[in-house]
Amino acid sequence: MATTCTISIASDTAPGFGGINESMTLTQAGTLTDIDSTTGFQRRKLSATGAVDLVTMASELIEPKDNVAAKIFIRNIGYRGVIDKSVGVTIGVKAEPIGKLYGGDWMMMPLTCVDADDVTANPDTDDTVVLEFVMFYEEA
Amino acid sequence: MATTTAAVTLTSDLLSDALSVSASTTCMKAGTTADGLDQMEYGVVEIATGTAYDIICSTPTASKASKLYIKNHSTDETYYVRVVLDAQNIGSLYGGDWMFIPADFHDANADIEITAVGGTNIIEYALFHEGTILTAS
Repeated sequence: MATTCTISIASDTAPGFGGINESMTLTQAGTLTDIDSTTGFQRRKLSATGAVDLVTMASELIEPKDNVAAKIFIRNIGYRGVIDKSVGVTIGVKAEPIGKLYGGDWMMMPLTCVDADDVTANPDTDDTVVLEFVMFYEEA
Repeated sequence: MATTTAAVTLTSDLLSDALSVSASTTCMKAGTTADGLDQMEYGVVEIATGTAYDIICSTPTASKASKLYIKNHSTDETYYVRVVLDAQNIGSLYGGDWMFIPADFHDANADIEITAVGGTNIIEYALFHEGTILTAS
């Protein structure tokens, strides 16, 4: 029951940069045991500015274990096939802005899953945009 | 124009219907559709336990479209680093884990701090950005 994630970064910014190609298997904290719980793949359509919860930790049907090895993948897929690179959605944790996902951008980051540390999304504009996301975690 | 692309493949068989997601993005400057991120900072550091360190020493221009990659190369799966942004604990990267995030460095406190736990952790990082506040010598 493995979950794996591979990243490939290529850039001609620095001529000597050979790129990054790395893979990780998502495991439970401090072990080689595969991570075993997920929210499943979800999508959220946003059509107005203002922060909303993508993941409300205290409301998960299965309580995630705090401060271990949870991770979340989020991608801005635009809307109806139109991916706008010029506007974005600010992703945050407990109201702390992490950064902005412009059209087509994606992120993979660890989470604490502490109840107050909700994952939020705040669009730049009222234009409709869709986020895909999936969280992997350990059951409390 | 400099071109930086970031591709991801995520697979999981936790669900009955296996999950497989592939995506690629070209990293552009904030709010543009034709101008790519053209500066970068790349390194490997060993982080001893006990103290929180800023992983990025310079200060990228705030509220831009920077992208940050961090990997924990520790081979001991019990070792990890705690990742904190502006006093908010984001999560932990265990040995072998990596993260890739947009990082807007929205104010002077929004540094990415990491604290090693378990032992000395080996951390690789790459920041793709569009300008930093350089320190005069």
